[in-house]
Amino acid sequence: MSHVASIAELFGGGLAAVWYAGSREGAGDVAIYFSVQSSDDGRWSPARAIVTRASAARELRRYIKKVGNPVLFSDAEGRLWIIYVTVSIGGWSGSSLNVTMSEDEGRTWTRSRRLTLSPFFNLSELVKNAPVALSDGGWAVPIYHEFIGRFPEMLWLEHRGEDIVATKSRMSAGWYGYQPALTPIDAGRALALLRDDDAPRTVSMARSEDAGHTWSAPERIDLPNPDSGLDAIRLTDGRLLLAFNDSPDGRENLRLAMSVDEGRTWSRIATLVEERGGDFSYPFLIQARGGDVHLVYTWQRKAIKHIVFNPAWLDERWSRTTR
Amino acid sequence: MIRDFVTTFFSAVCPWLALVLCLQRLAEGARARRGFRLRGAGLLVLIGVVALAVMLIRIESVAIARWIAAVNANFSVPLTAALAVIVYERAFARPVFFPSDWTACWSFGAIGSVALYPLALGLSSVDPYEWGWRFSPLFVIVAVITGWLLWKQNRFAWLLLLAALAFHLRLLESTNYWDYLLDPIYGLVSMVALTRQWITARAPRRVPPGPL
Repeated sequence: MSHVASIAELFGGGLAAVWYAGSREGAGDVAIYFSVQSSDDGRWSPARAIVTRASAARELRRYIKKVGNPVLFSDAEGRLWIIYVTVSIGGWSGSSLNVTMSEDEGRTWTRSRRLTLSPFFNLSELVKNAPVALSDGGWAVPIYHEFIGRFPEMLWLEHRGEDIVATKSRMSAGWYGYQPALTPIDAGRALALLRDDDAPRTVSMARSEDAGHTWSAPERIDLPNPDSGLDAIRLTDGRLLLAFNDSPDGRENLRLAMSVDEGRTWSRIATLVEERGGDFSYPFLIQARGGDVHLVYTWQRKAIKHIVFNPAWLDERWSRTTR
Repeated sequence: MIRDFVTTFFSAVCPWLALVLCLQRLAEGARARRGFRLRGAGLLVLIGVVALAVMLIRIESVAIARWIAAVNANFSVPLTAALAVIVYERAFARPVFFPSDWTACWSFGAIGSVALYPLALGLSSVDPYEWGWRFSPLFVIVAVITGWLLWKQNRFAWLLLLAALAFHLRLLESTNYWDYLLDPIYGLVSMVALTRQWITARAPRRVPPGPL
């Protein structure tokens, strides 16, 4: 089993990816794996376990039942960061978030630090999608809560000296979608696209006009969602790109949709994979400095796939769709 | 590194005190039945050392104190201090808190929990937990309550002052003021204690409120 991959561009060129893998989801042998892709020959290095149940228990000084959902990102100083989930009691709704950081492109990692984000036994804080860098050097991380209520939240991270300062704000309450994909429009405005587990099974979208501090109530958009993770990014030319399962009841395909009007309308531009009975899920998108778009996703819960497409291909797909 | 040590230490104080209290009760039972003579400071030191040894027992390479921290690493200051008061009162048979102090302690825990947890778990779009990260109306409200209790010479005010001091010194893993004021166990204990007080008050023979 391999699941929940994320990818980041390295400061000196090349890419790095993390995901979790083991005999089955939540099993004791599940670990978070790390691999780098050389910018020279494009080969991915052999996967290396960087967080195991035992290492997390040692570093966090407590019992850890399972690890999961790692999200990798790089900062302007060339450091790599991973936010990942640990569970001590119960299932995924018993999750807490932890942070670790590398200053040598993933060769070594700092001791993990637990973030306290919930007043109720610090339960049920999870992450799936990439953060957005803030102008003050901090990060806006889209996270979500799923104990009793299931709702999206914003985690605000700052790195002050040796300390990591974490605070949190609510995106919406109750049961209005989760696993937000955060997409900035400009310095003040942003969109969040949300996974949905409720009828009629469509993607939901919330808007912020104050840099993510407050959000509109999520509204459904005209794209289905089979209660599955999705991701969206803003391309350097301003268009929005969404990777999602285009079905209300299955993960048999993975498609790209594009919006040129800040998310008001979306057009499907490409099918990346489609297979009857298949399971293609949890896409994660980035646009590298050179303009190429990188997508990683879970392939049949057995492997992590990496797809690259350049802006010219996106332009060609977009013009074919709108012709 | 020092902060890690401090937060690890303080996460263990409340469970250690709870264990001390349990052992005190056992010792009182043993004294009544078997003429166990040790009492006062001597008994408290012995029980404290035994409780500490228990907390340090390792299971699967993790000390019992850290197993407890896996469930809750942020025991609130009022709960921890209230346990310390109860342990002291039992050890030395000297009251530290008067009935009105206990009523304030349990009322704060119960009302605060009702105000915080349902909303923080998603009942509405307002999340009061956000108010604990930085200066907010929460700090003003707690300061007013503390001032009012001090004016009334209610000793629970000292526990709120200790919570503010602990927050300032970042003694817990959490950096949110709410976690220094409340925790779910304190909330539950407070509701049980208030219910007991209410039942006792309705009973024909009145008994003044006190510790659990």
